[in-house]
Amino acid sequence: MGVAFVAHCLLNQNSKVGDGAHCAGVYSPIVDVLRDKGWRIEQMPCPELAFAGLNRFWAVREQYDTAAFRRHCRRLAVAVAGAIAARVRQGEDVVLVGVEGSPSMGVTITSSDPERGGRPAWPDGSPELTSGEGIFVEELHSELDRRGIAFLVAGERHAIPGFEEADQRTRLESVLERGDA
Amino acid sequence: MRDARSYRIALVADCYVNPAPGQLDGLAVLAAAGWGVMQLPADDYPAEVAQQLLAGIAEQVEEFSRHGYTFVLVGERDGLAAALAQAGLAVPDRIAPASADELAGFLALRYRQDPAGGAGRGVTGSR
Repeated sequence: MGVAFVAHCLLNQNSKVGDGAHCAGVYSPIVDVLRDKGWRIEQMPCPELAFAGLNRFWAVREQYDTAAFRRHCRRLAVAVAGAIAARVRQGEDVVLVGVEGSPSMGVTITSSDPERGGRPAWPDGSPELTSGEGIFVEELHSELDRRGIAFLVAGERHAIPGFEEADQRTRLESVLERGDA
Repeated sequence: MRDARSYRIALVADCYVNPAPGQLDGLAVLAAAGWGVMQLPADDYPAEVAQQLLAGIAEQVEEFSRHGYTFVLVGERDGLAAALAQAGLAVPDRIAPASADELAGFLALRYRQDPAGGAGRGVTGSR
């Protein structure tokens, strides 16, 4: 058991990009697993919300990879890293629960398309998914590395092709129980 | 894809998100009622950390408020009012519930007062 630092939208789907909210408010499939396993929940900020606003477009990593967004993410990451450090000092294990496929909150899968930009029209599908971290998670990872803090990662997987809630639950339980990615 | 957001958000003290045994599970009540949750920093965080987290929360509340989302406060957190004031925001209607029924009743009353949430005032999302 330990402390799960969860992506903001897992407790508040109102923060999602337009057409992205899977439920009214709290995304219970992740929350329920964390509570069942006895993990404390702490919510991270949504890095996209305050920066790009509620009317932001769906975007890939390259569109958020600007100096200004990275500065914004670093500011937020310092605050979150301070919270994580406080829990680590108490002897707690820490897991980051991100959002796979997100340009900012992906923990093992983000999105990439170097050509995307201009008038927003692109085909549905998942060609932009690629392994890697989103920009906020990358900045947080860097800040935690600087502080010598180790952590586990897991992700909400709605955006991943073939998504099944049972598979998501199994993956999360595996991370929480054994530290597997 | 249908966007399922509720346009309703509760700022929630940590003790209602991570309740001690036998204490009120506010998160469960809010989830069942369809409210989004913005968790306030735990009371045992260092002051500097809490202040940074509260500033980030206020920044997000400001964006939601600009789009007409409905807010309530469940519990309390030192420094929240100052952080909200920095963003030009007032503390929303508050409850410190002792029971699930009390919290559910408060949320239902807010729903009756503002049944459309942010619809019609905000410009976010398709419904």
